[in-house]
Amino acid sequence: MPPRSRLGAGETGTSALSANNPSDDICPVCKSNRYLNPNLEFLINPECYHKMCSTCVDRIFTSGPASCPVPYCGKTLRKKGFHKAFFADLTVEREVDIRKRVGAIFNRRQDEFETLLDWNNYLEEVESLIFDLVEGTRDEKVKAEEKLKVYKEGNRGEIEENRKAGLEEADIARRREKAEKEAARQRRLAAYREEEEEKADAQRTKRDVLDRLATSNEDANKIAQHAQRVILKKTSARRNLTDAQANSNGSILDSGLTINVRGLKKKEAPIMEKPYDPFGGVDLTPSHYTLQKDYDNEWLGNAKNDIRHMAGGYSIEEYYARTMFEAFSGLGVFIEDEKVPEKPVASSTIGTAAAVQAAGGTVNLEDKMELDDVF
Amino acid sequence: MAVSPLVFPPAPADKNAGAKLSKLSNQGFNGAAPEGPSASSGTRDLAEQMNEEEKQKYVKGKKLGEGTYANVYLGHLRDDPKRLVAIKKIKIQKEYTEGMAPDAVRELKHLQEISHPNIISLLSVFSSKDQNLNLVLEYLPLGDLEMLIKDVEGVRYGAADIKAWMGMLSRAIWFCHENFVLHRDIKPNNLLIAADGEVKLADFGLARSFSDPYRIMTSNVITRWYRPPELLFGAKHYSGAVDIWSVGLVFAELVIRTPYIAGDTEVGQVNLICQAVGTPTEENWPGVSKLPEYAVPDPPNPIRGRDQYLGTFGTAGQEGVDLLMAMLILDPRKRITAREVLQHPWWASEPKPTRKQDLPRKEGGAEKIGEDLKRRPGILDDERGAKVARKLDFGKM
Repeated sequence: MPPRSRLGAGETGTSALSANNPSDDICPVCKSNRYLNPNLEFLINPECYHKMCSTCVDRIFTSGPASCPVPYCGKTLRKKGFHKAFFADLTVEREVDIRKRVGAIFNRRQDEFETLLDWNNYLEEVESLIFDLVEGTRDEKVKAEEKLKVYKEGNRGEIEENRKAGLEEADIARRREKAEKEAARQRRLAAYREEEEEKADAQRTKRDVLDRLATSNEDANKIAQHAQRVILKKTSARRNLTDAQANSNGSILDSGLTINVRGLKKKEAPIMEKPYDPFGGVDLTPSHYTLQKDYDNEWLGNAKNDIRHMAGGYSIEEYYARTMFEAFSGLGVFIEDEKVPEKPVASSTIGTAAAVQAAGGTVNLEDKMELDDVF
Repeated sequence: MAVSPLVFPPAPADKNAGAKLSKLSNQGFNGAAPEGPSASSGTRDLAEQMNEEEKQKYVKGKKLGEGTYANVYLGHLRDDPKRLVAIKKIKIQKEYTEGMAPDAVRELKHLQEISHPNIISLLSVFSSKDQNLNLVLEYLPLGDLEMLIKDVEGVRYGAADIKAWMGMLSRAIWFCHENFVLHRDIKPNNLLIAADGEVKLADFGLARSFSDPYRIMTSNVITRWYRPPELLFGAKHYSGAVDIWSVGLVFAELVIRTPYIAGDTEVGQVNLICQAVGTPTEENWPGVSKLPEYAVPDPPNPIRGRDQYLGTFGTAGQEGVDLLMAMLILDPRKRITAREVLQHPWWASEPKPTRKQDLPRKEGGAEKIGEDLKRRPGILDDERGAKVARKLDFGKM
């Protein structure tokens, strides 16, 4: 595959870029300079990052796509692609553009990863890809570009999802910022108003004091002290009030926050549940025989008709099931296949050994054990 | 005596050498572990060595609960301290000085056979000094269902949660019955909750396998409030239906958050059943009057209708009430079986059972597992000591 336009810019581009000097005010194409033309404006095209003045761009590209006028570059450029460089240093401009492009494709988020390590590994991989694109040799660039394309093809859906999530997040952040700014403005206004009020109040009291001093014949000191107290009281009352307001403001802001959080949570779409299986996926239907409703057996005849068996709810079907199970148990079981890491086996042997030991005691004990089973 | 690196050939005549050899082999087994008193008896047979090996796999931690029947400790694997276990150490009981307590035998016998996500798993068994029996059980840190039912203030749950819990209980009991084990002590405080919210049936101290015809079983099983009428009437031949009655009462208790039929005595229990469900008579339960301890209050109450159930247990929904009624049928032969319970349309109806990780839970279950495991089977919590429910007396039989 031929290197995509930009890739070739590596060598020529870097030389062009390194020649870029902010104080250099001469258009490299038409050699006009700022001294003669104070409106001189340089534009670049992210295809090759060769800068030229806007007059040159108009002159060369207005009539359609044309090749870059810089010697040995030869990229086909369009007028539409030209814009002013944001950074004075065009290497930075280029790297930022590449980062933007890669970031739009590799836009996974940390909460998609199981562990921090996975996330960090992912970041490292992306970073080395970017490095290849920015600083790599021609081959590395081609390879990196290919990787990028493959990833984009393979993860179209997820990329789109994450892009939307990112937009939503940005939106939320913007709204929160706005709310915070608004709150700050309100606070400022309130503080300002309060100050004004306080001033007016102080003046009013002062006037009152003067009036009283002029009209009444009380002790001058007393009147002054009283006035001071009144002012203090009012101020503290106002302060309490504003505090309360501030608190309520805060809680409003908080509730706004929690709504946002909820919105975020909803994004984690629930996994489709399987229909509820009351048996929990366990199937115990016997595989070696079919259980009949009834079996003819002389020995069972009495039990079937015995009132005590019947009334107590004794289930002859349960007996059939058990005896059939016992008759067939172990068939089709191969210990070799069933063997799992020693643990259960060991525990059962130990259990049996302990039981054997315990049972191996006195005859008296044996009797008791037997009795235990009888009832 | 210093342990020599030389291994002597076994010389039966030389007592001294034999002792040394056993000591060496012992160290090969459990490294630097402290030796139990049994090691001092000299040679150890294979069973002892295996027991020691098993014992060394676990580290016993703090005590979670102490009871008359057993002590419960928190423990963990020696290799992996993050894997916790509960170690139930059965006490030596004066009634059974010559062997193991029958509760322990029953628990061992059945738990080691059964493996199901909704049944507590027995990880290992070993005996420690004085021949104490230690059962290593799964550690279930979130307490039990009784705790959740009783905490009316702190824990709220709905129909979906009840369905999820009942589902797990029904699976457990179905699995027991499919494997021919009668649990015979189902009640909310034997339903422990694992860290992930899974309910697990515990305490197999009264369990037994299905009996053969003509072989009698005791009717003194199941904690009184959850005991079915056939056992209260002294039936000696019964089936899995006894467990279903208990399951039904657990269901009822989950809905109304208080024990549904809580009699003070066995006679009281029968009376309450007659009121709550209906009086067992020859019409609704053929042969009931032939049961040894059949006695019902006069006049008989009619069987409680569907509308009355709907009034009390309406939160469970139409289908739920239907299932509850099927579980609380007086005649055990007509009562729903465990398999039929799981085939009931209630499970498919709305609301869907809550996922186990979303179920309501309560912290502080560590003490509770201690409480639950140390309890003597078949006994209500509030009647320890003198008022102990009819004890299983093997001596008289």
